[in-house]
Amino acid sequence: MSQIDLERVTKTFGTVEVIPPLDLNIADKEFVVLVGPSGCGKTTTLRMIAGLETATSGVIRIGDRDVTDLRAGLRNCSMVFQNYALYPHMSVAENIGYGMKVRGTPKTEIAKAVADAARILNLEPYLNRKPSALSGGQRQRVAIGRAIVRQPDVFLFDEPLSNLDAKLRIEMRTEIKLLHRRLQTTIVYVTHDQVEAMTMADRVVVMNQGRVEQAADPITLYERPRNRFVAAFIGAPSMNFIDGALERGDGGVNFVAEGGVKIALADARVETLSSSVGEKITLGIRPEHTMNAEQAFPAVDIKVADVEPLGPHTLAIGKAGQADFTAQIDAASPVRPDEMLRVSLNPAKMHFFHANSGEALGRLEG
Amino acid sequence: MSVRDLKGRRRWLALAGCLVWLAFTLFPLYWVGITSFKSPVGVVGGPTYIPFVDFEPSLTAWRELLSGARGQFYSTFMASTIIGLSASVAATLIGAMAAYSLVRFQFQVRLLSGLIFVFVAVGGFLLLRDILGMGQALALIYSFIAALGLSVISAWAPLPGPILKNKDIVFWFVSQRMFPPIVAAFALFLMYSEMGKLGFKLVDTYIGLTLAYIAFSLPIVIWLMRDFFEALPVEVEEAAMVDNVPTWRIFFGIVLPMSKPGLIATFMITLAFIWNEFLFALFLTNSRWQTLPILVAGQNSQRGDEWWAISAAALVAIIPMVIMAGLLSRLMRSGLLLGAIK
Repeated sequence: MSQIDLERVTKTFGTVEVIPPLDLNIADKEFVVLVGPSGCGKTTTLRMIAGLETATSGVIRIGDRDVTDLRAGLRNCSMVFQNYALYPHMSVAENIGYGMKVRGTPKTEIAKAVADAARILNLEPYLNRKPSALSGGQRQRVAIGRAIVRQPDVFLFDEPLSNLDAKLRIEMRTEIKLLHRRLQTTIVYVTHDQVEAMTMADRVVVMNQGRVEQAADPITLYERPRNRFVAAFIGAPSMNFIDGALERGDGGVNFVAEGGVKIALADARVETLSSSVGEKITLGIRPEHTMNAEQAFPAVDIKVADVEPLGPHTLAIGKAGQADFTAQIDAASPVRPDEMLRVSLNPAKMHFFHANSGEALGRLEG
Repeated sequence: MSVRDLKGRRRWLALAGCLVWLAFTLFPLYWVGITSFKSPVGVVGGPTYIPFVDFEPSLTAWRELLSGARGQFYSTFMASTIIGLSASVAATLIGAMAAYSLVRFQFQVRLLSGLIFVFVAVGGFLLLRDILGMGQALALIYSFIAALGLSVISAWAPLPGPILKNKDIVFWFVSQRMFPPIVAAFALFLMYSEMGKLGFKLVDTYIGLTLAYIAFSLPIVIWLMRDFFEALPVEVEEAAMVDNVPTWRIFFGIVLPMSKPGLIATFMITLAFIWNEFLFALFLTNSRWQTLPILVAGQNSQRGDEWWAISAAALVAIIPMVIMAGLLSRLMRSGLLLGAIK
């Protein structure tokens, strides 16, 4: 068993509190991704689990062991770094086997472990090369090989794909997922790339300023974000937000915002939002939940500033009233910059947030 | 604009300037070279420039030097080599350790602890020698041990006053090279001869001169190596830490190999300094462990300036260093870190 528990863990550097009391539980064999903007404390959290930083207070447990004050080497974790951190003067085989050699493992055993790792990671032709003679993707595979021969309780990945080019990143993403399925080891993975987080994780932990904003599986994060920060962070292109208020009128409840935006709410939504009528709230709608104007759906007018044809569909970027707005429309739509465009919003996919606290209002259960 | 872009007359002027400078730097070496092959009469009889044309070369100076007629050439050469190599290796190794710890660990020394060291060391020495009538050397040893012990213990106490950090410690090391070496040379000679009275001979011994050179080379080694270690990516060491590699193994197995170009450059600089050092060798040796600079200077005898002999000895002192530099510069190629990180 190698679950990880962080209880009331804090970290301060000098007088700066990077992590306010943080609770996080990671189940055995789970693939958890910590994601957030830079400086949100995700790497510090990972380094505290690894033992490269000591927690200022709180308790860290791996399995049943309290490792809070244990040094990094004794925690039985393996770590893969963003910049590979290979030993430049050793060959690939020596890099992978160095830890075992230091621990006094017999040579034949090392050779077998290295050969196994090389086979899994397709490194067999390169075993005698120095890291300087490898490409970025190969180097990162060597780093992963060095991690797996340790047979650790926990794998820790610190933005391992950020230095690779886009195509390789997608390939390695799949490789790491396959590796997880094969090895069945707990993985904690840090990234600032929400696509990486969504595609790889069993569970995504969205962090901001040292706090956990929401921890859930990718689809829940996407469909039912707990607050505006999570809603804005997850999804690309990013969710549109229109600040306004709910008002009664025309025989129902409307969302009204500056610039002539007025959206009638369906009855199902009115029930859950009725307590917020009259308050300032924010409407959120993802670009992929907008479409060319249709009679049945509420609509907004946007003044188009730029058009991005992507092939399957086109993005129209502009303003709805005062708010920035990106709409996803048919590829065939003849829209030009500086024109007005009427787009419909899928009422079932609208999100509402409390304007001040950013908390989601009337979340649809299901 | 580069020199390569120059055209016509300007280009020739630039070339001429470079040639003049080349002649200016090479001529002394040439002069020493031909002088070592001149006969005493040839040297005194006015300047001659080209062998076989201006003067007939003679092997007198070399024969006298190598036969040992002018000082113990072989033993001096061996002393220089042994002391130079061992002191440079030791200084580079010890200095590298100090520099690494100053880069990777944060030290805090209270200024007051330092002052306690100074007061106890000086005060204790005066007390033991002048009031309790103890011998110089013993008084020195006891007071320094007491001072060291007290200052280390006091560093744990929450003393008031400023706290010195790593950069202050580095400055303290480097400052050792700021005062004139003659000050240290005198003090060392006195200390060594007092130790000799205790039966522990240091003057004109291998260990005495080597220790002095190590101590005097350390500041420059620490200063140079600190820059090399700071350039190393810390993640490589962190990866080893997570992999449960012991700290000493990280240093010797990973950090030192990664900073090989820096180590070799530092070793070369230290060796050149020790090889050429004159003052300490003059004070701290007298016969058995004399080094080459002393031998070269010694050619200037009562019979006047015997330039042919000085030249031959000077060449012997120069050539090994040229060969060393040539061999080691091949190992100093950069790009060794390539592949460690992106």
